[in-house]
Amino acid sequence: MTDTTTALSSGALSSRRAGGRSFATLVRAEARKLFDTRTGMILTAILVVFGPGSVVARGFVAGPHFFTLAGTAGIVLGILLPVLAILTVTGEWSHRTALTTFVLEPRRGRVLAAKFLPPLAVAVLAGALALLLALPVTAAVAAVRGVPADWDVAPGTVLGWVAVLVICTAQGQALGMLLLNAPAAIVIYLASPMAWSAVRGLGGAGEELAGWLDLNTTTNLLTGGGMTGGGAARLAVSVLVWIAVPVTVGALRVCRKDIN
Amino acid sequence: MIEFQHVSKSYKKVKALDDVTFTVRPGTVTGFVGPNGAGKSTALRILAGLSRATSGTATVLGRPYAELERPGFEVGTLLDAAAHHPGRSGREVLTLGAMLLGLPRARVDEILELVGLTGKEGRRAVGGYSLGMRQRLGIGHALLGRPRALILDEPVNGLDPQGIQWMRGLLRDLAEQGCAVLLSSHLLHEVEQVADHVVMIGRGRVLAQGAVAELSRGRGLEQTFLELTAAADRSAS
Repeated sequence: MTDTTTALSSGALSSRRAGGRSFATLVRAEARKLFDTRTGMILTAILVVFGPGSVVARGFVAGPHFFTLAGTAGIVLGILLPVLAILTVTGEWSHRTALTTFVLEPRRGRVLAAKFLPPLAVAVLAGALALLLALPVTAAVAAVRGVPADWDVAPGTVLGWVAVLVICTAQGQALGMLLLNAPAAIVIYLASPMAWSAVRGLGGAGEELAGWLDLNTTTNLLTGGGMTGGGAARLAVSVLVWIAVPVTVGALRVCRKDIN
Repeated sequence: MIEFQHVSKSYKKVKALDDVTFTVRPGTVTGFVGPNGAGKSTALRILAGLSRATSGTATVLGRPYAELERPGFEVGTLLDAAAHHPGRSGREVLTLGAMLLGLPRARVDEILELVGLTGKEGRRAVGGYSLGMRQRLGIGHALLGRPRALILDEPVNGLDPQGIQWMRGLLRDLAEQGCAVLLSSHLLHEVEQVADHVVMIGRGRVLAQGAVAELSRGRGLEQTFLELTAAADRSAS
């Protein structure tokens, strides 16, 4: 039953020269890990079904307004993409696969960097697909209802909208990296809009705080056009606090800690 | 070649490893035995670069693990058979490993066959595997890159008698081909059957090391081991 010569043979030399250990390989492997577990597959299936489903449904309710329809898919994406991003980071710790991952690539910083990229690429791709899908749905709804379709949207707004999806996804990853715990990261991500509306309810100071730190508010200017100096500063501060700082702290911790 | 030189590891109050020194030569199987909590897994994680030693050095093929150019081709590791994503199939676990090492996909089929997992079992999610199947998968993963050294933490746990016999044969074959095999276990009879050398550890210290025949003193490893650990416990208390 065992032919150990296949396990250990002179072929080792040739395979030692063959590929592996490049950053691109790491990124490809991490991209594959996003979708190759049951949870990953279920989340993807939900995206594939509910994304387009929501666009079509909204089309019949709201009428043939192109950007409104694409934006509907964006609501689904804005919830599921960050969750997928959180799970890809935290899975290494909850299932202890970090033991295997860091044995094959001991340079932990490289692994974390490779892990960070695929969810962001998926966010861009999913946003593009939502826009593509909204085209025929808008046309079809206009034809069925016999009303003119509304295609009016500035290119800058479309780009800004995709950027918001990317920022949400990055925020999910950042929380995952900082906490290394899926339930905590998901709860904080999903509950933060409610928390911020409570903060805003506190009056002037609360409003001001949310204006600087609530990503949902600060990213509004990306889709609302009108990029002002003050708005950009607020966006930068909120991205720093919710993405740059947790990623840095989380990465430093992972690079230093003993992995058990 | 695997070498521990004066490796110590302290946590806040506990000294998990205390001046551990031993060598695993190419072509031999070395059993690393000790009671639960003796520091076996800590030592192996330090060796694999996952934990940092407080002092001393652990090297594989002459270098600290983190400095190996292509660790997957040089050292095979199985540190915890349970450490797989339960929602990933066995075949997928191996495919990811092969991908990271730049190996052709055919290697995955070779490995599945080598460790005795059928095609159907390979496609099942690891969450549904028995511990024995996970051990086979973990061994297979360790062997993907045809390594020259193997670090195995309790690889025999959960294997059925056929599985244990298979593992014995596999480890002997690998050693005969020049591999340096380090396997930790608390199953002394098992170690006695497969190992050339034994390192006994208790409370983080090496209690004895040497050839199996020498340490078993004609009465079996277990007897020697029990005497040594009892003596260590007495001197500690």
